[in-house]
Amino acid sequence: MLLSPPDRADSPAQVSFRRFPMNNILKSTKQWFQGKHLLALGILALSLVLVACDANAKQSTFGTAGPVAEKQLLLFNVLMWVMVAVFVLVEGALLYAAIRFRRRPGQPLPKQTHGNTVLELTWTIIPTILILGLGIWSVTTLFELDKPPASAAGNTLDVTVTGHQWWFEFEYPNADGNGTVITTANELRVPVGRAVEVLLQSDDVIHSFWIPKLAGKVDMVPTRNNRLWFLADETGTFYGQCAEFCGTAHAQMKFLVQVLTQEEYDAWVAGFGQTPQLSAAAQAGQQVFNGAGGCVVCHTVNGSDNPAIVAGRMQGFLNTEVGIAPGPNMTDLATRQTFAAGLIDLNRENLRVWLTNPEDIKPGNHMASRATIYQTADGRTSLTQTQVSALIEYLLSLK
Amino acid sequence: MATATNVMARPASASGLWSWITTVDHKRIGILYGVTAFLFFLLAGIEAGVIRMQLAVPDNTLVSPDVFNQMFTMHATAMIFMAIMPMSSAFFNFIIPLAIGARDVAFPRLNAFSYWTFLFGALLIHFSFVVQQVPDAGWFSYANLSEKPFSSGQGIDFWALGLQVLGVASLAAAFNFVVTIINMRAPGMSLMRMPLFVWMTLVTSILLVLAFPVITVGLIELTMDRAFGTSFFNTAGGGDPILWQHLFWIFGHPEVYILILPPMGIVSEIIPTFSKKPLFGYPVMVFSGIVIGIMGWAVWSHHMFTVGLGPVANSVFTITTMLIAVPTGVKIFNWIGTMWGGSIEFKTPMLFAIGFVALFIVGGLSGVSHAVSPSDAQQQDTYYIVAHIHYVLFGGSIFGLFAGIYYWFPKITGRLMHEGLGKLNFWLMFVGMNITFFPMHFLGLNGMPRRIYTYSSDFGWDWLNLVASAGYFVLFAGIVAFLVNFFITVKNGKLAGHDPWDAPGLEWTIASPPPVYNFAKVPQVVGLDHYWLVKRRAAAEGHPITEAEAYVDPETIHMPSPSYWPIVTAFGVLVLAAGFLIEFPWPYIKFPVPIIGGIISFIGVLGWSFEPAAPEAHHGSEDHH
Repeated sequence: MLLSPPDRADSPAQVSFRRFPMNNILKSTKQWFQGKHLLALGILALSLVLVACDANAKQSTFGTAGPVAEKQLLLFNVLMWVMVAVFVLVEGALLYAAIRFRRRPGQPLPKQTHGNTVLELTWTIIPTILILGLGIWSVTTLFELDKPPASAAGNTLDVTVTGHQWWFEFEYPNADGNGTVITTANELRVPVGRAVEVLLQSDDVIHSFWIPKLAGKVDMVPTRNNRLWFLADETGTFYGQCAEFCGTAHAQMKFLVQVLTQEEYDAWVAGFGQTPQLSAAAQAGQQVFNGAGGCVVCHTVNGSDNPAIVAGRMQGFLNTEVGIAPGPNMTDLATRQTFAAGLIDLNRENLRVWLTNPEDIKPGNHMASRATIYQTADGRTSLTQTQVSALIEYLLSLK
Repeated sequence: MATATNVMARPASASGLWSWITTVDHKRIGILYGVTAFLFFLLAGIEAGVIRMQLAVPDNTLVSPDVFNQMFTMHATAMIFMAIMPMSSAFFNFIIPLAIGARDVAFPRLNAFSYWTFLFGALLIHFSFVVQQVPDAGWFSYANLSEKPFSSGQGIDFWALGLQVLGVASLAAAFNFVVTIINMRAPGMSLMRMPLFVWMTLVTSILLVLAFPVITVGLIELTMDRAFGTSFFNTAGGGDPILWQHLFWIFGHPEVYILILPPMGIVSEIIPTFSKKPLFGYPVMVFSGIVIGIMGWAVWSHHMFTVGLGPVANSVFTITTMLIAVPTGVKIFNWIGTMWGGSIEFKTPMLFAIGFVALFIVGGLSGVSHAVSPSDAQQQDTYYIVAHIHYVLFGGSIFGLFAGIYYWFPKITGRLMHEGLGKLNFWLMFVGMNITFFPMHFLGLNGMPRRIYTYSSDFGWDWLNLVASAGYFVLFAGIVAFLVNFFITVKNGKLAGHDPWDAPGLEWTIASPPPVYNFAKVPQVVGLDHYWLVKRRAAAEGHPITEAEAYVDPETIHMPSPSYWPIVTAFGVLVLAAGFLIEFPWPYIKFPVPIIGGIISFIGVLGWSFEPAAPEAHHGSEDHH
């Protein structure tokens, strides 16, 4: 028999195969895998997986807090266990075949089977049925999650979100049911238990709106009006992040969702945009803010970001080829937890670092590249430290 | 013909640099493809290292965001277009003519043209590093981020024009292999006797022919937008950025199968050889490959589930994407079926092939989870996807290609790679790959988006990132083991003989390395697994085959002659494309350089057309194109 190993003992490949104690290794591996080792290994693997699936992480898709994310997670969880079962079965069959049918010395040519129609049909039909079942469930969920449930009709909150390189603008066309318009940035406040209908737009490139614990992402595409809805079951702070690559500072385009009780939300809406009380120092800061070529060119305090107004303010300041880029609305800035698109905590020290040179915190941001005060040799502001302190004083008075 | 057109005599050097530059021998071109692709594989691997080191710890400042964006853009672009595809091409070139019993490919000079165009395209893209204008909008370069207002440097131009040149190379090669496989098979090799690798090459080549024109259109439109101010994708002028996504993914999804089908073909050769059993369910394996090739056209929008196409479109692509898992699953079952009841020998090629199956199962399963569009809304553009594509493209394509290298290395060089080092290489890569990429599933599910250059510590992504980055070093060590193995065995390895694995393919009937003419006598193919049938029949008759087909004097066999024109024409294509990087402030003619490139190409084609078929005039009557 030509194909049996003894006839091929002179082949050089065979020599090194003999030298390598593969059979011994396989044998001890097989023994090791039998009995309690296998159990221990299984428990170890499972506990590693459980540790790795961290529902407490700020953006974990496992730590759901609303029906949209919950339905998406349910689908994934069921699918995951199906995947685990298929994984164990198929990898098990592969491993078993590799160990059971390894070549033994003196083994004759194995039976030359070419196929098995029944078997092949079986492993075509079973996955097809499994997959179609999953497909029907997916499609049902898809339509179910497309719009808020009928029960929420008339009780939804509309928010328009506009993506900018690299921050989020939130506009409430009717924040309180009486036509109050609120424009804010990077921190979305919504009442608990109420469906929020989000209209997604973009001012420049494609971004994506994603709050993992509340809802899967939908892209924000210029020229399109995409929609998404979510509902938060509990109050608290949730974390969102841009999920479509959008340029240099993509990693630092985040936002917060503050889920408030209805009373807290109403109070926030009622108190939004009140004229702030300014100390003498803050008034000095306000003058810097509103001065020629000052922050006011791009940032609004207590007013809307009407594009025409903003465009008028910014004419002549910006490289028109790049287009007009309004900055985040600063109204009630001091009530926010973070700034620079959800990036760092809002406090005196961080504001000083940011205002001195924004590049140190968020490389590539448009404020550093365009505002006249940062067009210096080392990128540090041309304002004096006294002016910066006054500006900080003013910004922290905005509440 | 020959007498009238002695524009330039055909080159005659048989050794030295000029012989490589002017070669039209499919085996030499295959080696050129393989070596070039491997160098780009190493480069892209180093870029991956920069990415992993930057992400190893939170708030890292090893590289700037701009450099990071360049790294992931060039890592993916190079791996896909300059490493995996040309490595597959290397096997197409070297193995296909041998596996079908042909003397060469159908169009040997076109084959040389493909290689040089590929090399020039790859160099053009990488020239961006020299002029510090590196592409940085991702390998998908989504419009309108890739448009002038948002990417004002020349990076995207390098990317778009380089890909155009690479596309020319891929198309020329694909046409060549479709024609070769359909027309050049040895007598007796009917379609259903073709080895599975040949089948998968045919399907891949057809996919290439159909898919590359789509990206070509997209790239032309992008270049028009950037160079001439049109508004195909530019929203400021009323263009639609989603059009780019459709064009890109109508190309991009078949491209995924272009990357995976050849390695699937390779492991379908290796598993039967080392199990000593014919491929289980050969007709189904062929059919599922074709079905994947066809269905691959109907799933592109699963890359766009979050774009907002609406529930109807998303439903359709949910179902089609799920269904493509069926033929893929069938392939996996049939590989296991081949091993079942076999006599499995664990040589390095077989280890890589089994590794391919084991890892592809993981990638295939996570692929099914992407098809579930509602839950995909949570996973799209996260590290979960990064994990998936690396299980498919590294665990799949790269493992399959390494299996192919170990399997055909003795045929190509005449020497065996070292088994011990080979096994070390396999285990380091297998373990390293899982340490690097498995944690990424969890990173994605824990909310880490992809393509972010930094993250802060309070998001709970620290330790999984550190583990993934540590895995990179294990992978790196695996590649080092391969390189050591390669360099010690390429000149000094054990002599392999013509058929070291007792393999069934036609390529094993001839000497290793194969003589320049491949087969002295055109073989008569007796069936699927031809050489097994021949060897067993001979053994049964009492005179077993121990030697390759005997050498004959190559002078007695007419072979296609070397030519200068492929590289000249390819150079013209390079100048034509690169010329769009140099803008002149002239009225009407802003880009004069491409005209020069066009003229060079035209001269190249002209010289090519009127070239005598052989250096000696008396060979002129046998025209080889």
